[in-house]
Amino acid sequence: MITQRRRHRRAASLLLIAAVMAALAGPTTRIAAHSPDPALGGDTFAQDGRLLYDWRSGAAPPAAMRTAINAAAADVGESRASRAATFAYDSNGGNPIGYGTGTCGVNGLACFTRDAPNGFTMWFREQGRVFDWGTLKWCQMYTDPPNGCYDVETIALDELGHVEGLGHHVNYSDDSDYTDAVVQTYSRTKPKEGYNMHVLGVCDIAQLQIRYDIPGASSKYSTCLDVATVMTLSRSAASVVYGGNVTFTATLRVVTDTAYGRLSDNPVSGRAVRLQRRPPGTTTWTNFATMTATSPTGSYVVSARLYSSAEFRAVFSTPTNEGLRGDGSPAVAVTVGSCTTAPCPLSTGR
Amino acid sequence: MPARSAARRTVIAVVAATIVVVGCGPAVTPPSVTPPSATSSAPPATPSQPPPSVAGRDAPPDAVLAAEGGDAVTGQLGTYTWFGTGSDSPWLTGAPLTVGSGEPLSLTVVPDGRIATWEVRDVPAGAGGPEEARTIAKGTGAPAFEAPGPGTWTVEITLDFAGGAGQASYFWRLKVE
Repeated sequence: MITQRRRHRRAASLLLIAAVMAALAGPTTRIAAHSPDPALGGDTFAQDGRLLYDWRSGAAPPAAMRTAINAAAADVGESRASRAATFAYDSNGGNPIGYGTGTCGVNGLACFTRDAPNGFTMWFREQGRVFDWGTLKWCQMYTDPPNGCYDVETIALDELGHVEGLGHHVNYSDDSDYTDAVVQTYSRTKPKEGYNMHVLGVCDIAQLQIRYDIPGASSKYSTCLDVATVMTLSRSAASVVYGGNVTFTATLRVVTDTAYGRLSDNPVSGRAVRLQRRPPGTTTWTNFATMTATSPTGSYVVSARLYSSAEFRAVFSTPTNEGLRGDGSPAVAVTVGSCTTAPCPLSTGR
Repeated sequence: MPARSAARRTVIAVVAATIVVVGCGPAVTPPSVTPPSATSSAPPATPSQPPPSVAGRDAPPDAVLAAEGGDAVTGQLGTYTWFGTGSDSPWLTGAPLTVGSGEPLSLTVVPDGRIATWEVRDVPAGAGGPEEARTIAKGTGAPAFEAPGPGTWTVEITLDFAGGAGQASYFWRLKVE
């Protein structure tokens, strides 16, 4: 299981780089499965920007659909886990969302335009439209939604993801990771799994985090990411008297890499960082103390009285609940003087 | 026709250069976006007409599939992103095309469009979605592959256009004899 997870992480790491390179290169590039959604071209909206939409004059969606679209806008705010823009209805919003017989291509059920950082448009095809592929049914237009209907809230969330700059997620060949993203090439219909997802998926969030950053240094990184970190460690003194006090300060940051977009070089706080030690000339590390988060952001500190010389390192273990890769700092040595004042132990060492 | 092609190329250039956003939304003055703490300002009035068709250069080019010496058939355009626009479609049944088993098939885009990468997937005709799709060919540059075995298949070809122009899926209903 761990091996498989590591394999996925390594693959995800490479794919993340590919995804970001694609984002830097231009609009969309097809990338392999289970990685962040690819990035659409063009700029991003302002971090935490607030995009106000209204209903297109003369083409407002039916009330049931308006409610679902508003819910989707709220879904973005609640599940973005990033500093991506949020959406809200405003009667003077200026970013029109329409509904009706207008086209989204010959076969499209919904479509969008984005012109970041200026604005966007969105359109939903009309209930009951007969396409070559079948008759369009929006679930929210029924009291008892039939199988085969599209959930408006999910489709709207998909389109809002596009507006943010997300391309279609590339699933595994068997679609087993379908629910990792709402922004899908082929949205599912009732009752298939994921047809009514009302939160952004982890791989949607991953690309949002790359493009817009995480909300804060203690925020979780999407599990669809595999972001490398770098740990450093310093000590207040390289040598102390027997029983002397030493303060250890560690820093934890995201590795500086353009592939990480706005996540690059982020300080990482609020994580479990341990100070480990080993006697000089040995290879086995043992846990020594838990380091406490301190300022500046991304720093961890612990003070200890030392009674024997040792090497120390700070360790951030790869967490299971987010997409950060653990790291250990290079070792630093502290030399402790001999005990000269009784009582002294029979052998040195704490 | 040449004049039309030239006009189309001009439009492509304009789109590429400016990333003008039109597509399935109407060509409107860019709507307002407020910063987090700003109060919303009244935007310009929005037009009441529906978005224009994406049949022109507001959408990916047509994709045409043909066997050697056979009639070319334009695929059904499915989901795509194209510069600042995009449209989401269901899995489609595909435009009908009859070919022989194992026959070489080649795809071209009209009027033009450089293809970076492509992938061909098929499912037995009648399948409602991509869940059972299998990849039968993929590559870079001009797509070329062999027809699957006898039967009727829905074939999806996904194209990634060079220069990051976008991505599009096209569908054919392949009757293989």
